[in-house]
Amino acid sequence: MVETPGSCSGSGNEHENGARIGVFICHCGGNISDVVDVKRVADEIGKLRGVVLSTTQMFLCSDPGQGLIEQKIKELGLNRVIVAACSPTLHQLTFRRTVARAGLNQFLFEHVNVREQVSWVTEDAEAATQKATRLIRAAVDRVKHLIPLDKRRISIHPAALVIGGGIAGLVAARDLAQRGMKVTLVEKQPFLGGRVAQLHTLFPTGEDARDALKRVIEEVVSHELVNVITNAQILDSEGVVGDFRTRIRIEPRGANSQLRQRASAVAACPEQTINEFDYGLSQRKAIYMAYPGCYPPIPAIDWNVCTKCGKCLWAVGGRGINLAEQPREMVLHSGIIVLATGFDPYEPLYGEYGYGIFPRVITLQQLIRLLDPLGPTGGRLPRNDGEPTRIAFIHCVGARQIEGVNQRQPDGKVKDYCARTCCTGALHAALEIRRRHPEVMITDFYQDIRTYGRGHETYYEQASEAGILFVRYDPRHPPRVEGNPKGDSPLLVRTSDLLTGGLDVEMPADLVVLATGVVPHDISELVGMYHCAVGSDSFLLEVHPKLRPVELAVAGVFLAGSCQGPMDVTEACAAASAAASKSAALIAQAQVEMDPFIAKVDEELCTGCQTCLTVCPYDAITRDETRGIAVVSEARCTGCGTCAATCPSNAIQQFGFNDAQVLAEVKALLQGAALG
Amino acid sequence: MAKIRERYDALVIGGGIAGMQAALDLGEQGYDVLLVEKEPSIGGVMVGLNKVFPTLDCSSCICTPRMAEAAHHARIQLQTYTEVERVEKKGTGFAVHLVKKPRFLIEDDCVGCNLCELACPIDVPHEFDYGLGARRAVYIPHGNAIPQTAVLDVENCVFCGKCEKVCPTHCFDFTQEAEEVTTSAGAVIIATGLQITPMAAKKEYGGDTFVNVMNPLGMERIQSSNGPYGRVLRPSDGKIPRSIAYVQCAGSRDRSIGIPYCSRVCCMYALKQALLLTHYIHGVEVTLYYMDIRAFGKGYEQFYRRAVKEGVKATKGKVAKITEADNHDLILRVEMLDENGRVEERRHDLVVLAQGLVPGWHVGGVVDAEEAEDGFLLTPEAKVSPSHTTMEGVFVGGVAAGPKDIPDAIVEAGEAAMAAANYLERIGWRAMAGAVLGASAAKQEVVETWEMH
Repeated sequence: MVETPGSCSGSGNEHENGARIGVFICHCGGNISDVVDVKRVADEIGKLRGVVLSTTQMFLCSDPGQGLIEQKIKELGLNRVIVAACSPTLHQLTFRRTVARAGLNQFLFEHVNVREQVSWVTEDAEAATQKATRLIRAAVDRVKHLIPLDKRRISIHPAALVIGGGIAGLVAARDLAQRGMKVTLVEKQPFLGGRVAQLHTLFPTGEDARDALKRVIEEVVSHELVNVITNAQILDSEGVVGDFRTRIRIEPRGANSQLRQRASAVAACPEQTINEFDYGLSQRKAIYMAYPGCYPPIPAIDWNVCTKCGKCLWAVGGRGINLAEQPREMVLHSGIIVLATGFDPYEPLYGEYGYGIFPRVITLQQLIRLLDPLGPTGGRLPRNDGEPTRIAFIHCVGARQIEGVNQRQPDGKVKDYCARTCCTGALHAALEIRRRHPEVMITDFYQDIRTYGRGHETYYEQASEAGILFVRYDPRHPPRVEGNPKGDSPLLVRTSDLLTGGLDVEMPADLVVLATGVVPHDISELVGMYHCAVGSDSFLLEVHPKLRPVELAVAGVFLAGSCQGPMDVTEACAAASAAASKSAALIAQAQVEMDPFIAKVDEELCTGCQTCLTVCPYDAITRDETRGIAVVSEARCTGCGTCAATCPSNAIQQFGFNDAQVLAEVKALLQGAALG
Repeated sequence: MAKIRERYDALVIGGGIAGMQAALDLGEQGYDVLLVEKEPSIGGVMVGLNKVFPTLDCSSCICTPRMAEAAHHARIQLQTYTEVERVEKKGTGFAVHLVKKPRFLIEDDCVGCNLCELACPIDVPHEFDYGLGARRAVYIPHGNAIPQTAVLDVENCVFCGKCEKVCPTHCFDFTQEAEEVTTSAGAVIIATGLQITPMAAKKEYGGDTFVNVMNPLGMERIQSSNGPYGRVLRPSDGKIPRSIAYVQCAGSRDRSIGIPYCSRVCCMYALKQALLLTHYIHGVEVTLYYMDIRAFGKGYEQFYRRAVKEGVKATKGKVAKITEADNHDLILRVEMLDENGRVEERRHDLVVLAQGLVPGWHVGGVVDAEEAEDGFLLTPEAKVSPSHTTMEGVFVGGVAAGPKDIPDAIVEAGEAAMAAANYLERIGWRAMAGAVLGASAAKQEVVETWEMH
């Protein structure tokens, strides 16, 4: 253990109101101490009134570090503790627990951020040292005014809402139900299964995607604790962890379980539209089943296409179809929410690698549909005068894009991240083609082959052994897809091959497959509703990739699967189960503890002017009509402080941030500062 | 240390980040967990790392609080320096046979004052620093170790008795012997982690004999602020290295030493170490010789771009052979893959082999779950239940089920905990744990429902 004791002033330094303050400054293994002279800071702070201990330690968050704090609280009778370390988002909770273990009220603790706000951003060592000293000095003045507080305890409604009926949502629902929790699974589409249903076989096990999916669906829908609601969208959601109320709207399905002659109903429909299940490669009817074996096994009517001509009704003798069915709304009560809203494949821009211009330029998702024996062509690839003999794959389409090279997306950004699944997915499909048609010549235009997962590298090895040709292109000069004037194959892919020292390559192709990336499914409404954090890649952002990888910053809302980032099926299922595990832990505790930093109305001072009602962003304040004063809902208040700042009568104070505390802190911060 | 009880809900084998996460997830759900670690401290590989990609958080800042959390959790019992001898099916659960290795002192009496360590006259290469630093024959594993309890290395002890004389609690007991303990658990989670690929067989790279060819975990220690040198120096002569090479896929994607798979983390840790080296040593040149850069995780590609932008050289090339010059510089024979396969010789004063991952432990005879061809545990339901092994009630989390980075290991550990919890519910191991969940068959209540017009 490396410990650098700082100055330790005598116990005669006690503050007049009895505050005995201990200040602990963390080196953070050099993260802080490489820039900030922590020993000097400790010496300076040790001179302040009320500070009975000011010391430094290599890693305060480690067990020995926490042990030091505990020991000093007991030994010196500290009644206020300040830790100057990393961001409070990382370890405020850690140290509050430490303080509590030593028998001190955990809200007599103050966390000062001298890493993210000082050592990581202030290069000049002297300035950083002074800044750290000033911040800690302000905390010293602030903690003198702290009062012991108790956590709010909110009981948890023992039910979960899972949003999204793809593989991740299904696995989360399965796990929660098996753990004994009531679950409602809400899916926007009329059928469960999401993107996995559109796959044929899964890498690396080679198992049938829909078989794997079907097993999970059966476990979910047969479980007595699960309610599955399809064709449903979230209208709004209110409440906090433990007590969410989510209003949903269920679109009419049009058909119900009484419908017996399902195929006849579909066959009778005269209306056709693009089949999104086949990524536009086929047509479907207005009344349709998404895929063979889908759940629910009842057709649904697409009201945007249906003309209500009644032919389906006639075909089945009037039973089981209701063209006048109305949408319904309901409110779901849940203690926690799991978001499993999934991804969309990247849709190439018009003209990107010839997409949209040449019909023989398709995406990997479309190829997978074409290879599916139950797909639009029964598993056959497109013919001209026979099967295609030359196929080109282009990797990193809509992934690993470079600003200034690739065209910006409609959101103004380039897709600069790796989509993780497309390399193995493309090789998996390429090998499937070779297995069926050994004569087909396949060329793979790539930057790096990222077959990282367990069993994935085998695909790369097999592809090389099978004679698939790899051409490595420079991402700054991506391949160009053009019409082939010579005519034997309709397309030509041109690039220069880095592996041969930059030789120009012209590869005729009958089919060009774009191994497209992954973008999050558009859930902007949910993002607003749940105040979700979103990363620069537009995926939902976890609190911390290692400490809290499946949690959103909003308490009680969890992340499952590819709404968080590109994942393969294994990874999405693991993430979903991890989210279920965290949810189950919360529910098992039966109640959740929340910070006590909420607003409180002084009934004597409140004039009932209702200004606070208009500014509260969380609808947490109501007016007590009989007494004519404002009342704060403890469960809903997030402690944002807006009302306290706004109240013209100064009748609202916020626990943990009352006027005395805040003003003392501000005054200390400004002490000696040049103003104006 | 608390006495081992007769019965636990779950046994977690391995106290690294995955094992701790699995134990915490189960503990939080209300299950009693026995967390067994063979080393004298929990924390696994992660606690020895410097900073972690892609955020460059210090590893200790994430790992050590987890260690403390596991150690202080009311439902988790730590059992360090203990081997799992045999786990066998017995009734609905498992009989678990453990062997507590002797620390040669009474654990409960040791206060971690490290006076014995200071008194001990014997210096031994320190495992925690991968042999780059030294420890005493009696020692506390490292500053962040949990428990902060000394252990006596009987192989190197000369029994001079100096430790015993200075010990304020007289806790030494040189007659201590290994102790067999039997307990039972309803479910088992294997989280036995990793070792880096042994390079002795790779003669082309010197087979572990060149002093300035380092392993990546040693480099982590050297870069760490609490590392053996306190700064980055090369081992042979203490010189500040000016030209450093990273040899990628050293012990991965290499059938010649029987490791055909990608180890998944080496590209990123090498890029991270390389980037940090450019921060630590002014004007240093760092070159990565790679086959493919696999920066596939969240924020990883962006990190790769950043590393290159800040001066790390990424060269597509396969290192065929390393030879040692007189002054212990290294000469790399490289096939320059982006230059038509031209062969070039490059001289560097320090080389880090970006070694891959192999299983940290083999089940052989201890647990009757099967291993796959790659040596990691076989997961027959790899897609939708990735933590299931071939043995019912035995689950796997983290690298024990194949190489992976820290975030993926943590997520999978959570998955293993969920699967174990559901298994415990299914077999009714502990009916009480489910009671709080109100396992009634009632459907979700619908607060309001109405038809819309």
